[in-house]
Amino acid sequence: MKYEHKLLTPLLAVFAVAVGFPLLYSFWLGFTDYKLVNSGATKFVGLQNYISVLSDGAYWSSFATTTAYVLLSVSLELIIGLSIALALQKQKWVKDLTRSVLLAPMFITPIAVGLMFRFFLNDQLGAIPNFLKQLGLSYDFFGPGRALISLAFIDVWQWTPFMILLLLAGLESIPKQPLEAARVDGANSWYSFRRITLPMLSPVLVVAILLRGLDALKVFEYVFATTRGGPGTETKTIQFLAYQTGITYFRLSEASAMAFILLVVVLAIIVILFRNLEKASTR
Amino acid sequence: MSRIKPLGVLRVALLWAAVITVGLPLIWVILGSFKSPAELNNPNQLLFVPTLGSWRAVLSSDLIFSAARSLIVGLVTVSISVIVGTMGAYAIARFRAGGSLTRFGILAAQVLPPAVLVFPFLTVAYALRLNGTLVPVIFAHLSFVLPVVTWFLIGFFAAVPKEIEEQARVDGFGRFAAFRLVVLPQVLPGIGAAAIFGFTLSWNDMFYGLILAPSNSTILPVAIAGFNTFRGVELGPMCAAILIAVIPVLIASFFIQRKLVQGISGGAVKF
Repeated sequence: MKYEHKLLTPLLAVFAVAVGFPLLYSFWLGFTDYKLVNSGATKFVGLQNYISVLSDGAYWSSFATTTAYVLLSVSLELIIGLSIALALQKQKWVKDLTRSVLLAPMFITPIAVGLMFRFFLNDQLGAIPNFLKQLGLSYDFFGPGRALISLAFIDVWQWTPFMILLLLAGLESIPKQPLEAARVDGANSWYSFRRITLPMLSPVLVVAILLRGLDALKVFEYVFATTRGGPGTETKTIQFLAYQTGITYFRLSEASAMAFILLVVVLAIIVILFRNLEKASTR
Repeated sequence: MSRIKPLGVLRVALLWAAVITVGLPLIWVILGSFKSPAELNNPNQLLFVPTLGSWRAVLSSDLIFSAARSLIVGLVTVSISVIVGTMGAYAIARFRAGGSLTRFGILAAQVLPPAVLVFPFLTVAYALRLNGTLVPVIFAHLSFVLPVVTWFLIGFFAAVPKEIEEQARVDGFGRFAAFRLVVLPQVLPGIGAAAIFGFTLSWNDMFYGLILAPSNSTILPVAIAGFNTFRGVELGPMCAAILIAVIPVLIASFFIQRKLVQGISGGAVKF
């Protein structure tokens, strides 16, 4: 065996046990009638789970919920993150401290963030609704038609820092000369942002958007901490639906089928992401 | 210069708004952990006599054991990931071992939906009578910590010039000695950052812990989720528990911020 393969083997071995095997096993589970509390033998049932998942309105509605959540939160994170990154780039006073504070949320465990906001935005005990009440306003953050938006805002609070981190690094790696040249030629700052900064930043933008999108697809903790899928099924995201199906209702095989359909979407996004990263690293 | 001033004001205002938005909920939690149950029912009360009741309650509860379990899971997961990942990442970065497919697999594994992997871990744990122990949690955490750590390290190894190693070989070092004594010290800060980040990911994960170790061996985030009630008596301890989970990783994060970008992009985006 060649030297580099000897070095790689332990990694591949652990990888096979921790990722490869569960992935294949989960794929198999999706074609059986396995139940955790079932004493009888497990039967192969073919595509039955996939058919029942795909013909179930609940799955599609949670798919739509998750998509809306991802689009709303990631686009807000992109806009806010880019603005803050641009502002931070020019900042000189207490630079490191500001950056550290602004990046802090992304290191906090999401369940704590979820509970913190459930408390902070709660009708009776929360600071924000109370403040609004004193202004004569009443707003139920987790009420019908609003809960998903509030969840997206929690996502924005926690993960805009991730955008800032990547975009700031991208901005700082852009060479200065083209911007200087544009200024000498009399271009205003909006023009040079749109024509120079944005195009040169686009590889980083693509990577940041895809990474955030993939992560937002997996949202679970905020839902678990605040709404548990409600009101009604308004905030039932895919990961939460799979959790309920598999753990609350013991239908593991159906939950595996659900997760695999999501995986197909995720894989498609990863292929695009991977192409971008490979291009960037060979450049 | 005076032409750009309005933009400058906007810039400072934006940063202040961002700092306040980040800080306000956190300060609220800190204040909440020092309030008495009665004061917690009045959210706008800023002046109060701080009490240590909530902290005392939390520090003498089972939450401390959950924190210890999270610590064990994190340390074991990160140790395995760093040892295996360092060798593998070096082979991938230096020799392109495993080709594109391995790199793709490592990237893909970082973003797999946990719902795909969790049920196999659960059924196998049941079959091996390991359910309710930390073993399945450690394996589950390896499924995302190992790829992230390896991905970070690929980027860091790729940044080490080949020439350093070749020179060491010319000077009579063996292959492994050149790796251990010359290349490894160069990436040591990177390994540190990857280890801290990997630990943070493990420490922060709730989904796997919730399903694989629910009742007698809860890890910290699951224990915190247990405070999901709205009786004023529980709110204070909940705030204190949140802070116990948050403070260690916030401190750790200060040391790795510079290395994070390079790591996340596998070396494709550099500072």
